[in-house]
Amino acid sequence: MRVVVVVADPDPTGFTQAIAATARSALDGNGHDVTVLDLCGEGFRAAMSHDERAAYHSPRPLIDPMAERHAGIVKRAEALVFVYPTTLSTVPAVLKGWLERTLVPGVGFVFDEHHRVRPGLTDVRWLVGISTYRVSRSSVKLTHDNGRRVLMRALRLNTAVRTRRSWLALYEIDRRTPDERAAFLHRVERKLGAW
Amino acid sequence: MKAFVVCCHPDPESFTAAVMARAAEALRAAGHAVRSCDLYADGFDPAADVAGYSDSLRWCDALVFVYPTWWSGQPALLAAWLERMLESIGPDAPRLANVRRLITITTHGSSRFINLLEGETGRRVIGRAVRGVCHRYARTSWIALYGIDRSTPADRQAFLDRVAERMSRV
Repeated sequence: MRVVVVVADPDPTGFTQAIAATARSALDGNGHDVTVLDLCGEGFRAAMSHDERAAYHSPRPLIDPMAERHAGIVKRAEALVFVYPTTLSTVPAVLKGWLERTLVPGVGFVFDEHHRVRPGLTDVRWLVGISTYRVSRSSVKLTHDNGRRVLMRALRLNTAVRTRRSWLALYEIDRRTPDERAAFLHRVERKLGAW
Repeated sequence: MKAFVVCCHPDPESFTAAVMARAAEALRAAGHAVRSCDLYADGFDPAADVAGYSDSLRWCDALVFVYPTWWSGQPALLAAWLERMLESIGPDAPRLANVRRLITITTHGSSRFINLLEGETGRRVIGRAVRGVCHRYARTSWIALYGIDRSTPADRQAFLDRVAERMSRV
């Protein structure tokens, strides 16, 4: 299976990177074709530019080389794994920008003849989200897990009808002991190693 | 009321820009003091802090956001600005208790139905997460145009009028 792991955390030494490394090795170990897109590591620009906005509804909406390369990779993906720290109850801005600038018309979705949105990522059969949270699980229930909704609902609407979804969450990350973090990595390994 | 209007759209000729202008005009006509900013025109760098905006953030009692809803939430540049704002309200800095009103004026490409299916995450981010760092009893307002991709000029004009009317009695 062609798997794309999208990582969104500016801290190169943080726990998000450890999760991403665990995910990659579990998927590699099962013989999957894995590509990791480290958005901050690659310097992915979050904000859509004026020119990109103008090109959005044109036949060629991808005018930035990095966005175009990422779009090409995602178009061939059969599974998408997102790894990020939940920020202000949602995905980090750089990941939001990645959705906006990469999953453009013709990639993430297509417009039909009535200008309605139809799925574009129809090869994606598995959507995985792995996130750490500063707050508790009950706090997340109050604000709603908006990052999870963006990925597991908004993005999900643009994938295949029978796309499976998996979610792994570690709450109150700042209070977790090394053993608890290691246990979470083990959960990630088991979940992704099952495919 | 002292309103700080924060606008975010890459195109200065966009409908969002027209909404922003109409909202600011209506607020002024109703006798409110208005400061405004346009994150793209300002050249806001997502990695920078919001020090340049902190004066207005502490001055206002109403924060008004004007932006297009993309992928169910705020555009990335505004999302980054909100992240930086949250970081600036650390344990050492008092929360934005001066902000008693949070007003969002936004447009959506898709219909209301699709947005409900998606969970209207942008609405929750401002209505709950951002509200959580404002005044304890801050009130929120949501003024939205759905289905803009298939709207007519008359629909958009009607929305501008609705925005002006809502701002006149905010």
